Amino acid sequence: MSGLIRKMAFDQSLVFGATRRMDEDDRHLETTGVAPTDNAGLLIARIAISRDREAYARLFCLFAPKVKAFVMRQGMGFQAAEDLAQDTLLTVWRKAELFDPAKAGASTWIYTIARNLRIDAIRKATRVRDLPEDLWQGEPAKPADEQVIEHQVQESVSRAFDRLSEEQKTILRLSYYEGLSQAEIASAQSIPLGTVKSRMRLAIARLRTHFTKA
Amino acid sequence: MQSVHHHPDDDILWHYCCGAASPGAALVVRAHIETCPHCRSGLKVFEALGGALLERIEGVAMSDAALELALARIERPAVAPPRPVKKLPAFLDGFALPPSVAAAAVRGRYWAAPGVWIAPIDTGETDRRIKTYLMYVKAGMIMPEHTHAGQEMTLMLKGSFTDKYGALAVGDFAVRTEEDSHSPAITADEDCLCLVMQTAPIVPKTWLGRILQPFARI
Repeated sequence: MSGLIRKMAFDQSLVFGATRRMDEDDRHLETTGVAPTDNAGLLIARIAISRDREAYARLFCLFAPKVKAFVMRQGMGFQAAEDLAQDTLLTVWRKAELFDPAKAGASTWIYTIARNLRIDAIRKATRVRDLPEDLWQGEPAKPADEQVIEHQVQESVSRAFDRLSEEQKTILRLSYYEGLSQAEIASAQSIPLGTVKSRMRLAIARLRTHFTKA
Repeated sequence: MQSVHHHPDDDILWHYCCGAASPGAALVVRAHIETCPHCRSGLKVFEALGGALLERIEGVAMSDAALELALARIERPAVAPPRPVKKLPAFLDGFALPPSVAAAAVRGRYWAAPGVWIAPIDTGETDRRIKTYLMYVKAGMIMPEHTHAGQEMTLMLKGSFTDKYGALAVGDFAVRTEEDSHSPAITADEDCLCLVMQTAPIVPKTWLGRILQPFARI
């Protein structure tokens, strides 16, 4: 296994086989900094189907640093964030067969796992308790039409986010990453609370529109 | 299932989605979402946004040995943490409860007034002022007029009540704050069960309410 790691460190493409598809994805990743979602979904599928360790290593390299960065932005310490990223990807490995691309995009699924682990960690830090089953697992079967819509949510929300104004993006980021309330965002940005509220309402409305159109 | 008319607003849903809600607030919102397709799809939008932000964030390098550790960890068998078999108290037998309420740590109930019982829920809250509980009120009763020192979230689980803001039926979610004074009247033909989270004690506005509050402990 350590041979695999050494090779990966030197040349990822050697290990993973330089298929044309992967090359394109890598270029996409380099130029945009955005991981192609269906590629990640494919990796999770490979883990689910054949316990594919190479796919796992690749997914780990793609998402562990992002999960770490995400929770650090939310105020988690360096080491705790590293551990949480490890646990998130381990959960992905263990629950890979529960991933349903019809329900959510790969990055959304990974995000919800990281979020739930973070809530868990915060509560454990203050007091040891068992959390109720997370929403993901406890979800009842859904009517087919609801699933069809959800299937496209990730992509359309992603695209809608990119089309938001910088001000709107900033507010969403502050709210998401830093967990700031609207009042806190207003004072951090030195803008009136009403402006924060209306910008946020507009941004959310826009995301929702793309969602319903999908 | 009757259709739900009152939902948490985007701000509440958003906070819940980000994991920023207190454990008690999260329980009330989650229980509502479990019964409400509308909010479930709203949550999906927010979660998809979380996914989009995760994709776009610039990573922070993991430690040198991280991948080696990760590949070693997946070889170890998963040890399932022993999930304590939790039994709901007998007094909740026969109620149709959302899964997360059924899974919550409901403690013993106490009678707050004739025809009214309250069962606190242990949500692991660190802020002691925040209380989460189930409240059962007999059909036809009118709660003493009160206002709130903080925020109060209510989810109707059975029956319905009416206050000056309208009627709340099964599945409905309501938020009341400092500015809202109300005197909920329980529908005459059905007992009412609701899930409540309050960030501060209620403030009774009548002498009767003030007399009853020490017994109600809410």
